[in-house]
Amino acid sequence: MTGATRATSPGPERIEGHAKVTGTARYAFEHPVADPLYLHPLRATIARGRVTSVDTTAAERVDGVRLVLTHHNAEALVPIGDPELAVLQSDEIAFRGQLIGAVVAETQESAAHAADLVEIRYERMAHDSDFRDDADIVYTPDADASPMLSPDLEEGDVDAALADAAFTVDATYTTPTEHHNPLEPHAVIAAWDDDGLTLHDSNQGSHLVRDLIAPLFGVDKERVSVISPHVGGAFGSKGMPHGHVALTALAARHTAGRPVKYALSRTQMFELVGYRPPTRQRVRLGADREGRLVATEHDSLEQTSRFKQYAEQSASASREMYTSPNRRVTNRLAALDVPAPTWMRAPGEAGGMYALESAMDELAVSAGIDPVELRLRNEPEVAPVSGLPFSSRNLPACLREGAERFGWHERDPRPGVRREGDWLVGTGVAASSFPSLFFPGSLATIRHESGGKYRVEIGAVDIGTGSRTALTQLAAEALEVPVEAVELWLGSTEQPHASLAGGSAGTASWGSTVVEAVRAFRTEHGHDPVSGAETTAGAGKNPDAGEYAMHSYGAQFAEVRVNADTGEVRVPRMLGVFAAGRIVNPRTARSQFLGGMTMGISMALHEHSVVDERFGHVVNHDLAGYHIAGNADVGSVEVDWIDEHDPHVNPVGVKGIGEIGIVGTAAAIGNAAHHATGVRVRDLPLTPEKFLR
Amino acid sequence: MRLNLTVNGRAMTADDVWEGESLLYVLRERLGLPGSKNACEQGECGSCTVYLDRVPVCACLVAAGQAQDREVGTVEGLADGEELSTVQRAFIDEGAVQCGFCTPGLLVAADDLIERVPEPSDAEIREALAGNLCRCTGYEKIMAAVRTAAERSGGTSGSGSSAGGDRT
Amino acid sequence: MDFLRPAGWSEALEAKANHPDATPIAGGTDVMVELNFDHRRPETLLDLTRIEQLREWSRTERNGVPTVRIGAAVPYARLIEELGTTLPGLAMAARTVGSPQIRNRGTLGGNLASASPAGDGHPPLLASNAEIELESVRGSRTLPLADFFTGVKRTDMAPDELIAAVHVPEGTGPQQFSKIGTRNAMVIAVCTFAVALHPRRRGVGTGLGSAAPTPRSATEAEEFLAGALAEDGQWDDPRPLPASVTERFGELVARAAAPIDDVRGTAGYRTHALHVLARRTLSWAWDEYRSGTELSGRQRCA
Repeated sequence: MTGATRATSPGPERIEGHAKVTGTARYAFEHPVADPLYLHPLRATIARGRVTSVDTTAAERVDGVRLVLTHHNAEALVPIGDPELAVLQSDEIAFRGQLIGAVVAETQESAAHAADLVEIRYERMAHDSDFRDDADIVYTPDADASPMLSPDLEEGDVDAALADAAFTVDATYTTPTEHHNPLEPHAVIAAWDDDGLTLHDSNQGSHLVRDLIAPLFGVDKERVSVISPHVGGAFGSKGMPHGHVALTALAARHTAGRPVKYALSRTQMFELVGYRPPTRQRVRLGADREGRLVATEHDSLEQTSRFKQYAEQSASASREMYTSPNRRVTNRLAALDVPAPTWMRAPGEAGGMYALESAMDELAVSAGIDPVELRLRNEPEVAPVSGLPFSSRNLPACLREGAERFGWHERDPRPGVRREGDWLVGTGVAASSFPSLFFPGSLATIRHESGGKYRVEIGAVDIGTGSRTALTQLAAEALEVPVEAVELWLGSTEQPHASLAGGSAGTASWGSTVVEAVRAFRTEHGHDPVSGAETTAGAGKNPDAGEYAMHSYGAQFAEVRVNADTGEVRVPRMLGVFAAGRIVNPRTARSQFLGGMTMGISMALHEHSVVDERFGHVVNHDLAGYHIAGNADVGSVEVDWIDEHDPHVNPVGVKGIGEIGIVGTAAAIGNAAHHATGVRVRDLPLTPEKFLR
Repeated sequence: MRLNLTVNGRAMTADDVWEGESLLYVLRERLGLPGSKNACEQGECGSCTVYLDRVPVCACLVAAGQAQDREVGTVEGLADGEELSTVQRAFIDEGAVQCGFCTPGLLVAADDLIERVPEPSDAEIREALAGNLCRCTGYEKIMAAVRTAAERSGGTSGSGSSAGGDRT
Repeated sequence: MDFLRPAGWSEALEAKANHPDATPIAGGTDVMVELNFDHRRPETLLDLTRIEQLREWSRTERNGVPTVRIGAAVPYARLIEELGTTLPGLAMAARTVGSPQIRNRGTLGGNLASASPAGDGHPPLLASNAEIELESVRGSRTLPLADFFTGVKRTDMAPDELIAAVHVPEGTGPQQFSKIGTRNAMVIAVCTFAVALHPRRRGVGTGLGSAAPTPRSATEAEEFLAGALAEDGQWDDPRPLPASVTERFGELVARAAAPIDDVRGTAGYRTHALHVLARRTLSWAWDEYRSGTELSGRQRCA
């Protein structure tokens, strides 16, 4: 199943590339609409309590103001079980920054100005925003917390195995609150007319938005259109519609058909569109003399919101990674008066693998075994917990290939002994893994226009990943026509229903759908279809689902320099080698891996939303305060992949590439920083002061 | 107030401009030119980079009134009709575009760099693009695109020095 | 809101006299952020970008010392390009300001008026004993920079005054600047330090940034080093500095700081880092002095 790393053509260029480089690709806020109004939100300035009074007199007097909306005059929404969408339904305040009203005006400026003039009084209640391990706030998540609940796992006797182990690690790692910060802030234009509601919305799935917003307003799904042709990045923050979509649609009820536009400010994004919750993870590993794991324990404590539950489940990364006869994996939540967390690129895995792969490095150091070799020695034959065979698992190939290319064999394992000028130099490795998911229920329409030209429609979305291009390629391949003969339409509820862009499952789910729809089209219309021949179909159930464990894998290598005097950390070089099934378009895929790794560098070195517990909000809530890696922070980043043919995973053989790039990066960098300095920092991000001890 | 300015070589006028609004808002909401993006409103991300009298600036930090009678160049003005500019073409060829939201600002910054420094080193490229954040691509492809654009423009980009630990 | 667009300096001073609450705006790198973020809504904006004389610099002499007079609206990019060899410390600091886009627009005058403790331009100006020229319809006055800063983001400016220029004595010896930030570019300083050796008057200048409520000099460190250099005859016959001297200099610089904990760094880290930066910049500057380069535009960053 494993070949050499491939040397192929770069793949077709990005289909919407021309529109994007000429500035003509229209993002949500940019859709030309007639006579728009602008919304500015009112937001709670306390972390918990009630609104006791609202005086809108001064605001309503501002020139151009058309509406001041609060819970007093907002219409009742249908309770659909999502507290984020139930905006302005009561006077209760569950977190600082919560949406409690809106001003709608002729210009953005007048709306903002009027919003400042609304006088809001509160009844303040004591709040708790201090993330900590405290029985009063800690509980075990249930099915309400996650649709993919990972219950506690206990196999064998971890404590006994640890007591007998030749080498042990017992370490606690922490990861901070992190915000997605896609470059495009969330934006929506809402307009009601006789036909219903139209939303130009920046999201990861127009159908999901429709399926939630329609019942919220008690209208038929057919009466809600959601349009999202171009999305400026998302990383999970646009997976579920957030309160701003409901608020804007609610405001547009009052504007006699005039569209209402709202783009969040960067600062508002720190409270209204989710974040990766902070975690505190304890990992205990025990190994025999040869470094074979005899016990693996991973307990994660993660923040959630009292307002809306979310379970990150970082510890679950340790369920199926390495062989270990004794194993305990638990995830706990600490509920606080804070905004709702949500999925952020590789939820669970990004933080969980940071802890596990850092602990593996600590084990390698204490056992005196090379960290690449240690991982190879713990490679399981079958999935450790489920006992299922792997659909394909090429972690060893990634590690070996990566070690070879990175020059790993020349590495002196001793920490803190390489110095170049003021800089201590080290290298590190970590493994990465991400489940290969498939979301059912998508449909695609294949239509033969004429003369061998096909139109393919699927309500998928391209959040920058390249799905428009990859799906066009897969459709052309299945139709056996050149890519130029296929016109692909996505990004709207006008196309057939499709699952959301998430879980690295886009190309797997939508690609399989397109390929199966082409098959159905050929069955129905043959190879010489008439003009206008059309078939809508989806992918059936994968017979191998539940029969195989399906994951993509990777190995990340990093060179790190730490300034001996100041503790400043630099990452001049990284290499990632991945095994992720079929790579449909090398040109766009490479960027996905590189982007994931760079976000991993950013996670390792910079990203940290600092919460002021006194007020319950993030203080560095803009891009000057919340640092993401810039061009100058990134050295050479190389990506390659193993040629992997996985016949089980789905009809197109792709395993997903959007998230695995970030998994393991921070651990590789932290491990390299330890190798450079001899200082083991277990708290992200790796800021300078942590290396000065 | 009324604002007169030249954008991409065309004289334009915007009425009822609020004195405190930014050139970026004028371009996007009043002149129908949303190519320049609004992503941070504080000059941190570079997505709104435009030429102001041929100098790259963040349009979000230019007060509308400061652009009176000035010349503005945006991403919409980079191509010569249907013909993409060298930098635009290179961004597509090298796969330097993902979500595309940082792209317009990067293109203006890169266009300016190649105009000033025909054969930029990697260090010069990183420096010139230091004010343009990208959350998707991871910068490698952007570097490649600028190198390619420089080569095609006649220069031969050196790719020797990558940003190492020491910033001496 | 009013938007005033004076075409000349006297017109600008008139405007400021008539609208003392007017907010001057040049590069917009601070004012526009406040407007965009809805933090402020001034009644009047006073645009200074059309006043040619504010965008000029010239060589003059003040009290017999060759001095560069820099108009308040000269952007950082031009300081780097045009004054890199004359005012190397300031040029080095200017290179670390924001990004190219910010340096194309941001001005020294704006940086001074904002009086942020983290302003990158302040430490080298302090190290060079720069003076600031303020003007109003009542007249003009010039005061040492150290007297200009009165508190966090507060200055000695009267409501009708505008910053006309900064007077920076030309360097007669090596100057260095170093900045620590958590990112490689586009970063507000965790802390900064500037040092200037003044061989002609046998003096030492220093400036600390992000280290106290206002940018400040480490006077004790300056006096100590100048004294030690004079005592050992180092100015005329420069030899390697004894470790005890650089160490003590670092200690005194760190002692001059009164830092706080914030999201960018802890007070303890800042104190430590200043110690390092002081030793580091001093050794660079001294190496330069010993190798006979009286002036250097070499860029050295943390």
